[in-house]
Amino acid sequence: MIGLIKTWKELHAKGIMGINRRNADYILKYNKRNLYPIVDDKIITKLRAIEAGIHVPEMYGIIETEKQIEKFDEIIGDRNDFVIKPAQGAGGDGIMVIADRFEGNFKTVSGKIVSHDDIAYLLSSILTGLYSLGGHRDRALIEYRVSPDQIFKSISYEGVPDIRIIVLKGYPVMAMLRLPTRQSGGKANLHQGAIGVGVDLATGITLKGTWLNKKISKHPDTTNAVDGVQLPDWDGFMKLAAGCYELCGLGYIGVDMVLDQDKGPLILELNARPGLNIQIANDCGLFHRCHAVEARLEQLEKDDILETPEERVKFAQSLFGHVPKSTD
Amino acid sequence: MWNIDAKIEFQASSGDPVKIKMYIPPLNKDYVSLNESFISNNYGVSINRDGSNRRATWSARRASGNQTLYYRLVLTKRFSDDKAPTKGPIFRDSIAVEGPEKIAADALLAPIRQHSADVETFITETIKRVNSNDDNAKTLLAGDSSTSKKASIIELLLSIAHVPMERVHTVRLSNDAGSQSPELWLRSYNGTEWLYFNPDNGQIGLPNDRLIWWTGDGELFKAEGAKKTKVSFNMNNSEMNAIRLAKMTDDNTNAGFLEYSLYSLPLATQQAFQIILLIPIGVLVILVLRNLIGVQTLGTFTPVLISLAFRETQLGFGIVLFTIITTLGLSLRSYLEHLKLQMLPRLSVVLTFVVVLIAAISLFSHKLGLERGLSVALFPMVILTMTIERMSITWEERGGSHAMKVAVGTLFAASLAYLLMSVPELAYFIFTFPAVLMILVAFMLAMGRYRGYRLTELFRFKAFLKD
Repeated sequence: MIGLIKTWKELHAKGIMGINRRNADYILKYNKRNLYPIVDDKIITKLRAIEAGIHVPEMYGIIETEKQIEKFDEIIGDRNDFVIKPAQGAGGDGIMVIADRFEGNFKTVSGKIVSHDDIAYLLSSILTGLYSLGGHRDRALIEYRVSPDQIFKSISYEGVPDIRIIVLKGYPVMAMLRLPTRQSGGKANLHQGAIGVGVDLATGITLKGTWLNKKISKHPDTTNAVDGVQLPDWDGFMKLAAGCYELCGLGYIGVDMVLDQDKGPLILELNARPGLNIQIANDCGLFHRCHAVEARLEQLEKDDILETPEERVKFAQSLFGHVPKSTD
Repeated sequence: MWNIDAKIEFQASSGDPVKIKMYIPPLNKDYVSLNESFISNNYGVSINRDGSNRRATWSARRASGNQTLYYRLVLTKRFSDDKAPTKGPIFRDSIAVEGPEKIAADALLAPIRQHSADVETFITETIKRVNSNDDNAKTLLAGDSSTSKKASIIELLLSIAHVPMERVHTVRLSNDAGSQSPELWLRSYNGTEWLYFNPDNGQIGLPNDRLIWWTGDGELFKAEGAKKTKVSFNMNNSEMNAIRLAKMTDDNTNAGFLEYSLYSLPLATQQAFQIILLIPIGVLVILVLRNLIGVQTLGTFTPVLISLAFRETQLGFGIVLFTIITTLGLSLRSYLEHLKLQMLPRLSVVLTFVVVLIAAISLFSHKLGLERGLSVALFPMVILTMTIERMSITWEERGGSHAMKVAVGTLFAASLAYLLMSVPELAYFIFTFPAVLMILVAFMLAMGRYRGYRLTELFRFKAFLKD
């Protein structure tokens, strides 16, 4: 019991944010309920982003009714690779990534052969709402398949690594690189077994990582060190993330981005309830950083200044960046 | 202390005067009446003695449509050793019979006379013979083996032997939810006391939990100007409650508001509310487990619904059943996955399967002599179906170990909620003082702004404290 109280106090001193605090002080306070559909529906997010000139993976088509499933072949045309996603999916479920064609069938990235019937069933499941939050009817999104930049080859196992940045009121507060593992089945979700690696906000150099709530420094599948990797075009990522506040209006979001070989940083999706494991990946609590941003906002409001995304990025990098390398 | 509600429902023929006569307990033996009331709008009520019985008469000049009358009796057992002197007839004339029935009756009586020594054994033997597969008994019963037919045959046989017999209609005092109808017993006076017999099995002596409602051959009620009449009895046993105590100790205060307690509701409704008012307690348990401890459960209120189902099955058996049905349902669900069905048809198949499974379990447990299995019939099927669906989605999305964790969390939360909801003191307290729920609301509101860590988070973030 005393041990638990001690743990509690130490966590609090480190500024670790718990679920209850995240929900009460950030999500409920900054995220207006009526804006949720913008982030919960990937199609709306995408259309909004295109409108705002923010880079997203190209959309090939939308399937909204059972009848339109027949039009699937028409939508993909003669493309060999594409991604099928539920518009309101959660946690990366219901996503199928097709890498190639194989004798009239398709082949997923993991090498599994899927027939047209399998795809039609997936589309139908998506439409009935099997993967959507709350089981509502949903739409299926067919889009460009991102090919990850070569930089990740050595520290990633299959799938597409993505970069998540937590953005509070337009200020990036913490970033993490999410690497799929054999256990996560190519998915970049931490609760499915992917690795989270902290990223220094100022430089874009990776820090130590987290895997299944533990701290790690090597990728379990490739055994390469995950820290000390310089992410290319880091400022581009930061600007992209900071601009998402204007895009959706939600005050506390997780922005998920990928680095495409050809097209550079792209926004995959926004998350109104970002997880808390990013704190373990960065070995740092969110609480103090969020407080700093809130203090800054208060100050700015008094002076009646509105900062641009570039200025916000600069502020965040000067305050939260340049994490001293841990000495071990 | 027993509360008994007799509910009389009928349809009044429009425009005609209505008159309902019903027997009510005579109350001169083992029970003391504490309160007796007639709940009826626009009806005149009168009570008159009729031999050893009492009879209430409701009457109205004009009534139409569906009518409901209540008779409520609050009584308690009389604790006293001295028995009131009783008297009764010891001789009666024979009922005349002719033809084959006479022959059958005589044939039956001969062995009964041989096997009996006094009035008591004679009656027991008669009941035994009438209930046996004897051909003569069958002739007399003429294919009708209802209790009332048996009673009239027994009366016929006894009358030939000049043994007097009287019908006694009793109501069982038990806390079972649901209504019952009066049970027929027979009694005979042996010169010093009344002997009671069960016409179905010859059992001697009235069990302690029976209340004599009326005696004699009359029907429970007679109705004029009414059709589709129905009488149902509901009862519960309660300790002396604080509200009654307050009324009894302080007669002078004009505490009219005390009438507005839940105890003034009809008993069937009271029984429902005793369960309903406990639901917030269950919800509170889930709230604490989820937000304070960090236990993961399937859905938010599914555990509360499961704990309500446990009320029917008891805890251990409920958990076993829940596990079996969910496991089998999950395996069916994984088979259905291959058929690639849409969500609604798939859910329908799973639901039907769950119904069949429950029926099968009930049947098997009945055959095996486990009456507990029958209670499963009320295990909410839709909850089970949704649990199976959610479990299987969780399984697919997050893997088996996470699904098991969630399932165990759900069962744990449901069990804890059930245990708390079945504390009788708590049930009594909340039912008597429903405003206590506001205290729960206060706690829930406070929880809504709780920002501290959850217990499981202390372990989740342990990695921070390693170095």
